[in-house]
Amino acid sequence: MKKFYLLFILTFMMTVVIACSSDSSNGEASSDDNTGNENTTEGSNEEGNEDAITLRVAWWGGQERHDRTLEVIEMYEEQNPNITIKAEYSGFDGYFDKLNTQLAAGNAPDIIQFGGNLNDFVYRDVILPLDDYVGNELDISLHSQSMLDSATFDGSLYGVTLGTTAWGILLNKTLFEEAGVQMPSKEWTWEDFKDITPELTENLDGTYGTADFNEDGFGVFLAQRDKFTYLDGEIGFEAQDVKDWFNLWKDLRDSGGAAIPEVQVSASQTPEQSLIVQRDVAIESIASNQLGAYSGATEDEFEIYPYPYNSETGKNGVSLRPSQYFAGYSETEHPEEVAKFLDFFVNNKEATEVLGNDRGAPVNSEVVKNLIDQASELDQQVYAYIDLVNETSDAPYIPNLPGYNENTQLFKETEELIYFEQETVDEASEAYYDELLQNIEKYRDEE
Amino acid sequence: MKHSAAVEPTMVQKKRSKKELRKQYITAYFFLLPWLIGFLGLILGPMISSLYLSFTRFDLLNTPEWIGLANYQELFQDKRFVASAKVTLTFVFIAVPTQLIAALLVAVLLNKKMLGVGFYRTTYYLPSLLGGSVAIAILWKNLFEIDGLVNQVLAYFNVSGQGWISHPDYALGTIIILATWQFGASMVIFLAGLKQIPKELYEAASVDGGTKIQTFFRVTLPLLSPVIFFNLVIELIKSIQIFTSAFIISEGTGGPINSTLFYTLYLYQKGFTHFEMGYASAMAWVLVFVLGTMTLCIFFSSKYWVHYEDGGKL
Repeated sequence: MKKFYLLFILTFMMTVVIACSSDSSNGEASSDDNTGNENTTEGSNEEGNEDAITLRVAWWGGQERHDRTLEVIEMYEEQNPNITIKAEYSGFDGYFDKLNTQLAAGNAPDIIQFGGNLNDFVYRDVILPLDDYVGNELDISLHSQSMLDSATFDGSLYGVTLGTTAWGILLNKTLFEEAGVQMPSKEWTWEDFKDITPELTENLDGTYGTADFNEDGFGVFLAQRDKFTYLDGEIGFEAQDVKDWFNLWKDLRDSGGAAIPEVQVSASQTPEQSLIVQRDVAIESIASNQLGAYSGATEDEFEIYPYPYNSETGKNGVSLRPSQYFAGYSETEHPEEVAKFLDFFVNNKEATEVLGNDRGAPVNSEVVKNLIDQASELDQQVYAYIDLVNETSDAPYIPNLPGYNENTQLFKETEELIYFEQETVDEASEAYYDELLQNIEKYRDEE
Repeated sequence: MKHSAAVEPTMVQKKRSKKELRKQYITAYFFLLPWLIGFLGLILGPMISSLYLSFTRFDLLNTPEWIGLANYQELFQDKRFVASAKVTLTFVFIAVPTQLIAALLVAVLLNKKMLGVGFYRTTYYLPSLLGGSVAIAILWKNLFEIDGLVNQVLAYFNVSGQGWISHPDYALGTIIILATWQFGASMVIFLAGLKQIPKELYEAASVDGGTKIQTFFRVTLPLLSPVIFFNLVIELIKSIQIFTSAFIISEGTGGPINSTLFYTLYLYQKGFTHFEMGYASAMAWVLVFVLGTMTLCIFFSSKYWVHYEDGGKL
């Protein structure tokens, strides 16, 4: 009897072991597997083909970006049969939390999309310097110099800029028509903005005039006053500027023009769930490259406007800025292949045609020319906007504050303290300014 | 149980040779191995390294730098740390009692013999199987959003609802309701406890003319106290570590205005979004200390309110 049991248990365990192992190999085969499998295990499995290489590529975005990027990845795999690419994509929420964990564990993707926070990661020594590959695998001869500069730290290039973008104001034309409000002139001022937004709220059911322009808007607001957030180790504004900004929005809420706090707080970064697509507001601040993603998520017709002008300085404050970068992971086992893929992604004619301007207007001048020639009406609008900003730009490009995550959270918290009247604008602004200085000090020490 | 386990091996020892005994130990450890590997590699190891890290400045990527007690000192000057402790304690002090009371009441109701009682038991248990999941947290978010289902139902009765999860006064409340709703696990344990109470006691009580309420307070509750004790400790430990629902509902921010910034959520933010893993480790050890103290207090207080049928001799 005992023996029978033993036999039974052993058989059972074997079944379990076999079941488990076959399960995991299935997992590895699937292309969009998100659990960080190491290249090494893959490589050794496919010993027969010596050159078999797996690259992991990570990015965030909406559905539109996922579709386009996946299509380019497929093209690349077709042209390079020895390369398998594992795509690890998600929305913006949680993207950097996951990345930080992967970096700490030493199994980050080989190619990683960054935003304006690339500097934070370069200083942590996790980004692959591309200097050795420039001119060989990676051709940057046609790239715009200012965008190359934005990815250069201490004289080394750390990433390729995926696109040029500029902050802009998205107006929901359909909602304007429904409200019977005329679209403003493209040279509108904050005064116009204050007049239009309450009118929209009043004439629309369940829709507010505008969403809060948040921290990005604050940067533009500063530029309109010839100030800046932070550049070359110097902070470029005073607590009074913060007060003025938050007072501007408090007035807009009081007049009924801006969304009420409960609506504003539930705002999402993902185009599909954004306030303007959900028709909670008729105006929102976006990066110009996002126009396609926002338009694609709704039946409504959108139009992109420059920021309202500051009527005193006559400035608009919007500047061209890099949207996102692709950068290599410093520990990648295939740095040349990384550089090759980056080159394909920003310079290849077919690839860039598929990508369009989802991540902004390309930085390669020839690619842009080619794209403009065959652009859709919507894309024409984006290129026209970038052109407009390029011609009228009255402000320099200011990179993100160091300690991006922490400071963005601080800004949001300050906004909410004011929204829900836990603190007055003056109190909250001063507290924000003090803590920001402390945070910057902390990061300066680390650098 | 404890008793017999302690006695048997000594009796066996006399009968068997040392060699056989050693063989037995090896077999025992062999079968323990999967658990042991997990315990050493996934629990004890990380705990020791986190203790070390709590005395360092560690940004996840560069080598940790020893800074002594600085992290612990900084904790008590950090207003967000204080806020997160407050939020968590509020949650624990409301959610744990309400959840236990709900579980007990439903358990008493379901302890009766009636048609389809098995179905009801399963139904009420279901939320605690699902409740911790990401899907339910997302569902909850959609329910309590400003144009969510709750407000749509309220609008039907001409009540205009709030943005429940986007208002700092109500956001914590929605998470407390979510936690209370998951009373099923404690309920099942209460049910088992209720079944253990000898019927004779109820008969005796009814012979003496005890009302239903008297019987509940004089017979059921005292005899159930060991189970209440157990559930209390378990739920306390679970609640103080709440993370998933808060993370999903506030999209990881703990907002609005830190009103759902639970302790573990802030710990996570510090470690993984602010790159301050040393600070986060210090927070984790403070949590271990506080949780340990609270649990010990409950254990010490138990001799005043927990009654064992056999006098607690076991």
